[in-house]
Amino acid sequence: MHSVVADFGRWMVALSAVVLHRYWKTAAMAATSFTGDSLLFLVDYLLRLIRVAVLLSIWRIVLAGRGPVSGMTLATVLTYTLIAEVFAEQLTPRTRLEEALWEGTIATRLLQPMNVVGQFAAEMWGQWAVNLALFSLPLLLLCPAFGVSPRPAGWGAAALFAVSLLLAMSVGLALEFIFGALVVAMQESVWVVAQVRRAVTLLLSGAVLPLALLPWGLGNVFQWLPFASLASTPLKLYTGTGNPLVLLPLQLAWSVLLWPLAGWMWRRYRERLAGHGG
Amino acid sequence: MAARDRSAISRSDTVVELSGVHKVYRQRQRSANLSQVLSSLLHPTIREVEALRGIDLRVQRGEIVAYAGPNGAGKSTTVKLLSGLLAPDAGSVRVLGLDPIRDRTRYVSRIGVVFGQRTELWWDQPIAASFEWKRVVWDIPRERYVRMLGLLQEVLGLHEFFHSLARELSLGQKMRADLGMALLHEPEILFLDEPTLGLDVLAKRDILTFITDINRRQHVTIMVTSHDMADLEQLAGRVVMIHRGSIAYDGDFDRLRREYADRRRLSIESVGPAPLLDGAQLVSSAGGRHEYVFDAAHVKIAALLDQASAQTEVLDVETHRAPIDDVIADIYEAWQREAGAPVPAPTS
Amino acid sequence: MAGSSPAWTLRRLLALWRFYGAMDLKWMMRDARSLLLWTLSDVITAISAVASTLLLAARFNGIGRWSTPQITFMLGYALLVGMIPNIFFNYNVAYISRRIGRGQFDHVLVQPQPLWMILLTEGFSPFTTMLGLLPALALLAWPLGRGVHTVTIGWLAAFGLNVVASVAIALSFSLIVGSLAFWAPRAAEEINSSSWHLLESLKLFPLDGMGAGLTATLLTAVPAGFLAWYPSRALLGIDGAGYAILVTPLAAVVAVLLATWVFRRGLRQYGRTGSQRYLSFGHRR
Repeated sequence: MHSVVADFGRWMVALSAVVLHRYWKTAAMAATSFTGDSLLFLVDYLLRLIRVAVLLSIWRIVLAGRGPVSGMTLATVLTYTLIAEVFAEQLTPRTRLEEALWEGTIATRLLQPMNVVGQFAAEMWGQWAVNLALFSLPLLLLCPAFGVSPRPAGWGAAALFAVSLLLAMSVGLALEFIFGALVVAMQESVWVVAQVRRAVTLLLSGAVLPLALLPWGLGNVFQWLPFASLASTPLKLYTGTGNPLVLLPLQLAWSVLLWPLAGWMWRRYRERLAGHGG
Repeated sequence: MAARDRSAISRSDTVVELSGVHKVYRQRQRSANLSQVLSSLLHPTIREVEALRGIDLRVQRGEIVAYAGPNGAGKSTTVKLLSGLLAPDAGSVRVLGLDPIRDRTRYVSRIGVVFGQRTELWWDQPIAASFEWKRVVWDIPRERYVRMLGLLQEVLGLHEFFHSLARELSLGQKMRADLGMALLHEPEILFLDEPTLGLDVLAKRDILTFITDINRRQHVTIMVTSHDMADLEQLAGRVVMIHRGSIAYDGDFDRLRREYADRRRLSIESVGPAPLLDGAQLVSSAGGRHEYVFDAAHVKIAALLDQASAQTEVLDVETHRAPIDDVIADIYEAWQREAGAPVPAPTS
Repeated sequence: MAGSSPAWTLRRLLALWRFYGAMDLKWMMRDARSLLLWTLSDVITAISAVASTLLLAARFNGIGRWSTPQITFMLGYALLVGMIPNIFFNYNVAYISRRIGRGQFDHVLVQPQPLWMILLTEGFSPFTTMLGLLPALALLAWPLGRGVHTVTIGWLAAFGLNVVASVAIALSFSLIVGSLAFWAPRAAEEINSSSWHLLESLKLFPLDGMGAGLTATLLTAVPAGFLAWYPSRALLGIDGAGYAILVTPLAAVVAVLLATWVFRRGLRQYGRTGSQRYLSFGHRR
């Protein structure tokens, strides 16, 4: 019995190693492709730094001389904005799915011995690794220069943020595949859907403008939408301005609801994938 | 250009002149190893590739020139230089008396280019719209457009898919449409890079006939690259072979065969197993029919037949020139051997 | 055939605009659903872009020293400046790094027209983009209707001049950044996406009260300040100084000259190296 279990365990480890190795290799390829053949990719980071500096300055102008607004002080909003930029990719996960749909290479993805979601996710993580190392970490270190504290509201807040971030990535990926399936279903240009999605997500996710600062109680309404689970929820938990007992179950609920929907849509429109795009 | 009377133009015009043309590419070498990515970004290893080394080439008006060579020899680089898409690092390029780069707008209105791996079609538009675009952008007079369109639709079979979107066409259909577009403005010189790529036998034949026809009737000078040597032999009277950036041969196909190898095929039908022939290599044997390859410059057919007759009863004999692809393959192999590169083992 | 007389140039420009406009209309009219989806998408995108700033202004009764009507005017100006490149420079002309990086610049070089003429006309897509102007016009009309500034012929001329100048600055910045793709086609292929995203996000805020360094950056290296804030300030008389009306047009002249110089350098580099990449989709968005 012991040897059967041991054999099974060895077999599982070997299988996991083979399976995981594929995704690791895919992620590594994506990381090295991303850096390209030149240091020019660093220009993107410079542009993002400028954007962060401007956003922080704008908040200082808007909230100058005001006390807490909807439970958010100026310091809280600044931390919110900075952390939103540090984890920008994780709070709005984007894969190369749009590109694959546009180029028509989506069908060839089905020829790879890997789960489609896993393939795209692995590539995404590969790219994230580079951005985290070369942009996010330096930005965190630069916080004092911006006059912003990057610290969470407490150790508890940090832990809640970590959990919420994982859920946010799950919701974000599910939305990514739902929108992708929508493109295939509508037989429409990927950019029509992408444009609308980008615009709507920017407003409703709270990545740029904390939902709590919206007028007319709009923030309270938007908080219930899946987009809020992407950025607003994790950032609220990080800054200690959100109720985890409401926000985390809501995020989990969206994750549980959206993945089956994404799966159903992809199965439904799988046939059209082969001829889409390109 | 206006449809001028080309018959009045001297056929001894030199339309293409490449003089001492050099072209070097710098390729950044990258490691596949993740740990070396950063170091290769900061301290890149650059490999210099001499795509063209002192090319001298002249083409007369009305010629059809085949431009051949193994992969990486410099064929596409030459076509890009002639199209005005690249500038030489040294030497000069003059086509129709113009500098393709400095006189670009005047120059491109007189040439046509078809790249086998590329398309000039508008992806999300019907072919008709792409042709109309060509008419407007090249400012082709309407009556000439209508005349040429009718001709091209008929010869290239474009009417079948003229109102389909470019992205919905097969590779062969796209090639035919691209060829039509390249000829719509009646260019004086046509550069074709792999024009028969992906075409079926019938379409290939029609296009080769069409190209020969426009050359004969309209004195269009044609430079064509291809890996299909049989097509080139059918099309061109002159072949320029490029090897590692230099011209290795410039002449006709017959002389090419004689100079490099006069390979012939001998087919013998006999009773029993294939006879062993000294000076000939057996390439296939099935159902009593045995195919051999030999170099006619060094081995006489009569000697081979004598050998065969001595070993078995010969029922039938057939001999013909080896396909040009075999000749070229031999040449490429010889070049590889000279360069010290491993020659792939022949497949049985 | 290619000539250089003003009459020929004008004739060719009009012929090309007419052609590309007709092509855009035919593409649009392939089916009514496409028409609806594209216009809806443009309108939603435009509204979403300005919604954050508008909502912020509504919540705090303006931003800094700008009142809500002034902010609305600025946002309308910003949207207008954003839509005009869509109308005239679609098909990745405004995102030229994609054309260069994907090896599609050869499609431009084989055309018998001066490069500037091709780039000025090939992206003309009025029908797929025009309705996106409506939100911009609405955001401009509302505050002007409320008297945020008196509208005269002279003021309209100044408005038009500043809008053209802002568009020229945005396109020049895009061209300068996009030209990096001549040197690094793979790494810089999508650099225009980043540069436009940066401009589009930063132009939506009034920049009064920012540090001198940041303001200078946003009026020079990353000229988002000239895409709405500074010209709106000048047009609404917030600054007070009359000459401010001319600052954006002057900046545009400098930007265009610089962009031309960088692009020419890039073209020379392209002539040396060509493009080793090619995305085989012919002419495509």
